[in-house]
Amino acid sequence: MQSNQTFADVFKARGVSRRDFLKFCSLTSVYLGLSPSMVPSIVEAMEKKPRTPVIWLHGLECTCCSESFIRSSHPSIEDLLFNMISLDYDDLLSAAAGSQLEDQRRRIMKEYKGKYILAVEGNASTKDDGVYCMVGGDSFLNTLKETAADAAAIIAWGSCASFGCVQNADPNPTGAAPVSDIIKNKPIVKVPGCPPISEVMTGVIAHFHTFGTLPDLDRLGRPKAFYNTRIHDKCYRRAFFDAGMFVPSFDDEATRKGWCLYKMGCKGPTTYNSCSKIQWNGGTSFPIGSGHPCIGCSEPHFWDRGPFYERLAEVPFLGSDSNADKIGVIAVGAAAAGAAAHAAVTAVKKAKSDKHDNNDKA
Amino acid sequence: MGRIIEEIYVWRLPVRLYHWINALCMVALFLTGMYIAAPLLSPPLGEAVWYKGMAWWRYVHFVFAFVFIANFLFRLYWALFGDDKYARFGGFRPWSPSWWGKPFREQVESYLFLRSDEPNYVGHNPVAALAHFLFIFCGSTFMIFSGLAMYGENNPGGLSAALFGWMIPLFGGSYTLHFTHHLGSWMLPIYVIMHLYAVVRHDVVDRTSVTSSIITGYKHKVEEEPV
Repeated sequence: MQSNQTFADVFKARGVSRRDFLKFCSLTSVYLGLSPSMVPSIVEAMEKKPRTPVIWLHGLECTCCSESFIRSSHPSIEDLLFNMISLDYDDLLSAAAGSQLEDQRRRIMKEYKGKYILAVEGNASTKDDGVYCMVGGDSFLNTLKETAADAAAIIAWGSCASFGCVQNADPNPTGAAPVSDIIKNKPIVKVPGCPPISEVMTGVIAHFHTFGTLPDLDRLGRPKAFYNTRIHDKCYRRAFFDAGMFVPSFDDEATRKGWCLYKMGCKGPTTYNSCSKIQWNGGTSFPIGSGHPCIGCSEPHFWDRGPFYERLAEVPFLGSDSNADKIGVIAVGAAAAGAAAHAAVTAVKKAKSDKHDNNDKA
Repeated sequence: MGRIIEEIYVWRLPVRLYHWINALCMVALFLTGMYIAAPLLSPPLGEAVWYKGMAWWRYVHFVFAFVFIANFLFRLYWALFGDDKYARFGGFRPWSPSWWGKPFREQVESYLFLRSDEPNYVGHNPVAALAHFLFIFCGSTFMIFSGLAMYGENNPGGLSAALFGWMIPLFGGSYTLHFTHHLGSWMLPIYVIMHLYAVVRHDVVDRTSVTSSIITGYKHKVEEEPV
């Protein structure tokens, strides 16, 4: 096995100079929000620590996380790191298949008991004993539980593994559940996004490799270094937001001028991710940069917060789709109608009792 | 009109001030909040740096929000520790079966026209007390907590985020919290309609001058009209 190789060995074998190696370490420390004084720690870890064994499982998913990871167009520091982690099991990428591959997984689990990272892409169907996602002759639910038992930590790649994504969008016919709903006794770091940015994915692995612990997590279990601020906070169109200069429709002059997409349903103000900082494909662009509103793909249940091009989500109300304002107007109307009806009854009663009084008088 | 036979000083100055500051803040918060959700005005073409369209509405919303919070906290203090029998929480015990008993039932029956006589209260009647608890106390608390959680998003790791950020996972993400805050803002027009209707109706039916009492502080007992 190659698992005893260090990152530096792999870099060297691939013809990466020491200078580039150090640049990579510095860049990683910046991504992770570490101070420059931490760069030597990263260098040391990369040079001396044997590579961290990773078991990468695929459940109910579309593989966009892996695509994001392996298609990074730029030279491939990400690509290299992807090869550098000792990816000992990945049913998507392995040449082997069937029982040979499953034996490999069990061997790694035994050999590196309590030391390997379990990377989960996708989530598990929980309904009907998980029969809606069968991998290698067993339900993914069982495989996930079995593999998680001896893992040091779990990385939940993407929105599926983190929050459920499209599989557990309403009405969730297969009972798809995110990893954190199934595995309760292991540290889990959620790296949501559909898919997550490749630098974010490598950054999380680099952090674990360097410090042996998971990075600082926020309240939703996401690494703070990448999910601490909203798309909105670092958006280059923020000036247009503050100025109140909004795109009213996609065929408007304002679209050409690159104004804020807030009114087009941009979920940037409620979405925590690094797209507006790190951007995609080696810093080429990101959705808002190419004129499309953020759909909030790294937020919990974003499929049920649609439509993508409206500010206000549609929710079921009295048997049809509605939004907060429609519900509010209906409720206000009902209150007004109620008050009017009550006033009418009061008036009728009063008129009656007045008549009664008058009759008494007569 | 019958003769005024008694003047009762019900709403003391701090309570009246609270009422009007609260009313002003809630209306301003509702209008600016709705504007933030759906910004209608569009500045003429030009440089973004010349305009503060959205930033101004948000700023006004935040300013009124902090006045609203301070005013709410003051009223809470007054309800708990103020020496004011008509403005205290004292008699309000919705957890107690005795509170749900006769007075509450009688008031509900009266509002539903199930009894002809109107129970008379100088301060809030039990139904009014419950409505104020739900709309003003619970409603304001929710709007304040959710509002401060969203305000904290502007400064991750800051005070507001540290104290109220737990609201975001509780509601399943920032978007849902925004949505619920937006939905919650509709409590205001609903409450205003019910409040104004109830006040005017009591004024007409009981003639206790409840409408002017929130300005002058006095309610009146009026002699029955000579039959």
